[in-house]
Amino acid sequence: MTRSRIPQAAGLALVLIFAVFPFVYARADYPFIMHILITGFFYAILASSWSMLAGYAGQFSFGHLGFMGIGAYTAALFSHYFYLSPVPTNICTEYPFGDLYLIIVNPIGVTSSTLSQDCLREALTIWNGSVQITPMPVWLGIILGTVMGGVFGLLIGLLVLPLRAAYLALFTLGFSEILRAAISAEIEITRGQAGIELPYLFDSGITLFGRHFDKTDKLPPYFVMLFLLLLCLAIMTWLAKSKFGMFVRALREDQDAAAALGVNTTRYKVLVFVVTSMMAAAAGAVMAHYIRIITPNNLMILQMSLVVAMAVIGGVENVIAAAIGAIVIEFALELLRNSFEIGPFTLDMTVWRFVVFGVLLMLALRFARNGLIAPLIEYFTRGHVAKETVAIRTATPEGTEGPS
Amino acid sequence: MEFPYIFWWVFAWMIFWSVTGSIAARRSYMRRDLDTTNASFVGAMLGASTGPFGLVPLCMKTPNITTRMMVVPALASVGVLMIAFGFADPGNFCVSNGSFVASQIVNGLIIGIIYGFMALGLTLIFSILGVVSFAHGEFYMIGGMITYFLTSVWLPGINPIIAIALACLAAFVLGAVFERMFLTPMYEGKIDRPVEYGILVTFGLAFTLQYFVQATAGANPLKASRYFDFPRIRLPSSADPWLIKTSRGNMELFDTVSISNPRFTAAVMCIIVFGLLMLFLHRTWTGKALRAVSQDREAAAIAGINPDRMNMLAFALGGMIAALAGALLVQAFSWLPQVGAIPAMRSFVILVLGGLGSIPGAFVGGVIVGLFEAAGTGCLPDAQKAASYIPAYGMIILTLTLLLRPTGLFGRRFASGAHGQF
Repeated sequence: MTRSRIPQAAGLALVLIFAVFPFVYARADYPFIMHILITGFFYAILASSWSMLAGYAGQFSFGHLGFMGIGAYTAALFSHYFYLSPVPTNICTEYPFGDLYLIIVNPIGVTSSTLSQDCLREALTIWNGSVQITPMPVWLGIILGTVMGGVFGLLIGLLVLPLRAAYLALFTLGFSEILRAAISAEIEITRGQAGIELPYLFDSGITLFGRHFDKTDKLPPYFVMLFLLLLCLAIMTWLAKSKFGMFVRALREDQDAAAALGVNTTRYKVLVFVVTSMMAAAAGAVMAHYIRIITPNNLMILQMSLVVAMAVIGGVENVIAAAIGAIVIEFALELLRNSFEIGPFTLDMTVWRFVVFGVLLMLALRFARNGLIAPLIEYFTRGHVAKETVAIRTATPEGTEGPS
Repeated sequence: MEFPYIFWWVFAWMIFWSVTGSIAARRSYMRRDLDTTNASFVGAMLGASTGPFGLVPLCMKTPNITTRMMVVPALASVGVLMIAFGFADPGNFCVSNGSFVASQIVNGLIIGIIYGFMALGLTLIFSILGVVSFAHGEFYMIGGMITYFLTSVWLPGINPIIAIALACLAAFVLGAVFERMFLTPMYEGKIDRPVEYGILVTFGLAFTLQYFVQATAGANPLKASRYFDFPRIRLPSSADPWLIKTSRGNMELFDTVSISNPRFTAAVMCIIVFGLLMLFLHRTWTGKALRAVSQDREAAAIAGINPDRMNMLAFALGGMIAALAGALLVQAFSWLPQVGAIPAMRSFVILVLGGLGSIPGAFVGGVIVGLFEAAGTGCLPDAQKAASYIPAYGMIILTLTLLLRPTGLFGRRFASGAHGQF
């Protein structure tokens, strides 16, 4: 095995470990570790798709969690407001749908009184258990959320076409903030800060290979998230290796030069927004179904900084490094929770860990421009190339390159 | 709202024609090979205010765009929107109650001056370093925190002016040290994407500072006591004070407009410091050097100014200005480690609205944002909804500005350095 094969082998081994892990691991903190892993995969999808957007295409967007939120809220609203019933309620807005009725529940928001319940609950009390209503399938909500993320990605991609660098960052930040404000303000529909609840990912449990998993079991969502992560990574690696990746990188290096050479910059800029925001939206929808609640605070700028930091520490120009970075950092953050004492001071690590993390982010940016994990991969895959480049660089006389 | 459909129909009509106008005007100017920089803005505003009646002549004749052609339709469309609102909701306080409107306007002005002052720091940083400091809100928070701890915990009874000065000094030093440690590689050409690097590293600083303060000071809301009391004034007479009436914590003008003391002192001090800063920027060698670097880096370097020094000074000064705004407002708002986020967003809005590195733009932009927010919070029929939308008002301005006129109000069209591009 040549040295350049090592990262691929390591990657394969890592995937195998993740695939086998839930069956092998049997300690008491099993649900906790599984939860961290699922969250880690979720952040890995966000961080790697953000690194595709920022590192590959050079679009430093701060609205990535906004797309995540669109996916999650679409799934949540879909499962919250749409039901199928064999009998018309005659109170709700409803449409015949085959031999069933599609019921659209009226939004009532958060109310403390039991009197103003929504129309479906009223109908259910009238029927008194004689009619069985069906909630919408979860997967349909997830797909809808993903599509919605793509639609918004298209819109934002079109709007940010003329903007670069700082303006792009501010515009996307603005988009994310408007979205968050709108979600927390439209209480009747989104239930505002109270958050909206979602059904389980597999509400009636699931039977896999003859073994039944309860709806609260962590194993099915674990594999769903892992599968989604691998799918996203596969798509992104394929895109990065294809002509798309090359065009997108040309766009990052010099948009005008790329356009002059015949790259359809508009199309690729929009396309990269659509692809990455669909991934973020899908991750958001699945995660929302897993943790079963979504609140506007999930879209906060601090969450965005977490994603950015994960991608940067992992390596912003390498989607796989960003994903690994996200999983590692999620783990580190959870394991750093334990407080400890230095002399008379008690360090409350639940907060201090973020300080450590922020300092790490700044140091990584300052001293390790490609992150901490990407150079490791580079070292194995492109070690020989790097050596040659260094040789060329030392051969060029100093000072030929002026400061830009 | 009594007749919501009036408002929404007018609104939809305006949106439709402004979108059409911005596209059509740009197209027609492009077809005649004319300057299109402001065409979409004029098209949108003319479309919003006059509908097709103004748009058609614009697209047919494609006149040269003057400042008046931009200002008048913009004001007219705001006017149309206000009139529509007035007809749709005649019972609203904003329409029926003059004193409410007056006090909203005064409050908007005062808070706008403070925002504008804070955005001034960001403008300074942006015009010289070409970087949007995402840690601006955290400098604001630090300024308030240090002032609170100095006046209320560590040295109670200290003169608030000294406490504010110390807080400013701390922020200045923090800004200078951070700039030396983390922003220097930007100028040396070692980084291929300096602007993005600057954004990310200040983002990291923001994250670190916020959690550092949360870890050391806790997450409970803090509030400093009032710095100064108003003297007791009643004019024209103590029996009938229709002109001005003050108590220690409040001031009432014309029997209608009430201004709270903390906001008033904050605004006045902002204006004083703004004046001093203008003197500094226009009268001293260092200030002139700062402005020179913001206009043309290379030329300034040839003239014997060290641009790297100016970078450090600009970042530290910018941070200090934010800290001063925070130090002045800690007596008005309750203070949390997360408190910087909203003012930082407002500063971004003002930065973009005012124009690239434009100092008057920062102030005018601040006042506009302040008034817009006052209108938004005061006039929306559902008070709870209005409060929840507060963070969005500014962002709506920001997105509109970036879409229609990315140079902002007073932006230079051909700025030097990295911020020449949008």
